[in-house]
Amino acid sequence: MVVRRLVGRWQGVVLSLIGLVATIWLGLTGQLALYIHPRYFVFTVVMAVIAGVLALVSFALVPSTHDGHGHGHEPASRWGWLLPAGSVLTIAAAVGALLILPPSTLTTSTVAQRDLNGSASALTLKAPALTSKADYSAFTVRDWASLLRSGAGQDFFADKTATVTGFISADKTDRDVFFVTRFVVACCAVDAQPIGVPVYHPGWQNEYKTDSWVTVTSGFRANPNAASRETIVLVPDSIKPTTQPEQPYVY
Amino acid sequence: MTVALPAVDKREQPDRGSGSRFGGFAPRSAAGLVVGLALIALFAAVRVLAPSTPAALALPNAARDFATLSISVVVESLPFVFLGIVLSIAVQVWLPEGMLLRRLPRSPLLRRLVLSLLGMLLPVCECGNVPLARGLVAKGLTVAESMTFLFAAPILNPVTIVTTAQAFGWDNGILASRVLGGFFIANLVGWIYGRHPRPGELLTARFQETCTLAEHPSRSAGRIKRSAQMFSQETRAMMPALFVGAGMAGLIQVAVSREVLVALGSNPLWSVLALMLLAFVVAICSNVDAFFILSFGATFMPGGIVAFLVFGPMIDVKMLALMRTTFTAKTLLQLSLLVALCAAVLGLAVNYGR
Repeated sequence: MVVRRLVGRWQGVVLSLIGLVATIWLGLTGQLALYIHPRYFVFTVVMAVIAGVLALVSFALVPSTHDGHGHGHEPASRWGWLLPAGSVLTIAAAVGALLILPPSTLTTSTVAQRDLNGSASALTLKAPALTSKADYSAFTVRDWASLLRSGAGQDFFADKTATVTGFISADKTDRDVFFVTRFVVACCAVDAQPIGVPVYHPGWQNEYKTDSWVTVTSGFRANPNAASRETIVLVPDSIKPTTQPEQPYVY
Repeated sequence: MTVALPAVDKREQPDRGSGSRFGGFAPRSAAGLVVGLALIALFAAVRVLAPSTPAALALPNAARDFATLSISVVVESLPFVFLGIVLSIAVQVWLPEGMLLRRLPRSPLLRRLVLSLLGMLLPVCECGNVPLARGLVAKGLTVAESMTFLFAAPILNPVTIVTTAQAFGWDNGILASRVLGGFFIANLVGWIYGRHPRPGELLTARFQETCTLAEHPSRSAGRIKRSAQMFSQETRAMMPALFVGAGMAGLIQVAVSREVLVALGSNPLWSVLALMLLAFVVAICSNVDAFFILSFGATFMPGGIVAFLVFGPMIDVKMLALMRTTFTAKTLLQLSLLVALCAAVLGLAVNYGR
């Protein structure tokens, strides 16, 4: 009975505290970018601090035994324990997910769920201007993926060298090709769209694991496998394993 | 607005009646404060001491992504829900009695028209609108009017309109269909439920109880104390719903392959239905859903996009969980079907009408 009343009274505030402690910690350690677009950082942290003050005021001023209005006394029924049990479960899940689980990016499992390079705007919104003077060394995964999708011909790519960083995801049909992959995020991880640049490297499965981060430097060639969906690929001179960058998503 | 509140209150407090306030800080308040600070310290300690690399827990990728997606929904929605609660407290406790509602026109039709434009002044995401709508109902807004507000505000919202215009431009009909369609559907829902003989039955018993309490506010308690009570009461309703809704949204994302939905997008009929399902599943904020769906723009029929942009802000997994705090399951089912039907008709009209 005591547990039920305590849970009923405080679960909202406690869940708020869990959420805002996690938010502020993510903000302080620079990991909010794993979940939301940087434009929300300030708003998110400010609201978390305001909510923290309100929660503390609630602890100080809201009577803990009864709230003076006489509700919170639900009639005891056979299924009455379900509600507090559900609340305790929710709190436990929140602690587990927000406070114990190490923060993490999306993985190749989501790449498989969402069509790689299937998203038009993730690719074309920032498609670089095709001038001969463009500084190709600064081109990102997104820029190259956009160019490849835009249908620029083999002549265009012939003399270009790309240096791209991303995690490895497998091509669904061509065993010899993997993608250097990044997620494009518009708002939060929920809307992340995978994009990637194809790399031709037979037997890559034996050397690298999917989801591991690499930097690939190479020129573009025609895919030796003519049946492949990817006609122009990187055929790398070097593949360097690397660590996950500070900002794993691109915007 | 919110930041200034405590300052005003401190000035007013000494003139008001009894009740615990900062002047006479009871030992019990101090104890409560200590409990609160201890909890924060405990949570922070757990967070700092927990393993920091994903490799430490050998979770399969799908489980990791389920967690990441659910956490992302929580982290993204939480500030908006807090903002909604703060606005709701402001309306109920700090605004002069009836200042907002008394100025509304008398005629129910006009009242709903004005209410659907309220979102223009309060650019909050749809999840923040739920606590605000609850506050307005407690202050005397009818149930039907609250529905009109809930459904119109996320669409008739300056941020949403600007992002939709950025994504699709002003002149291809998508923006106009979204804004006018959303406006019409919200008012239609309000009109239909305005004819309900016993509107109280649409609400959950628990929320009705909250409303009756709000009608007789304990004037003895100071404003800060009432604000604190409302914060605890609103978070009690909203937070479990938000966490459960986020969990469901994450689970569905991992389970339902998006490619299937996307594949249906180029058919005039199926694009509308598939994109409405997508909107229901992704539960994305109305402020940015235009950018999200633009990413599929090349493959989808415009009617499907309009249906997505109209249906998504009104009904989705997360919103249903949040609205369940206020409306009965039966009401929500009716609302979902009604809104889905309207959005589908609108989308099909756009597809076949050109």
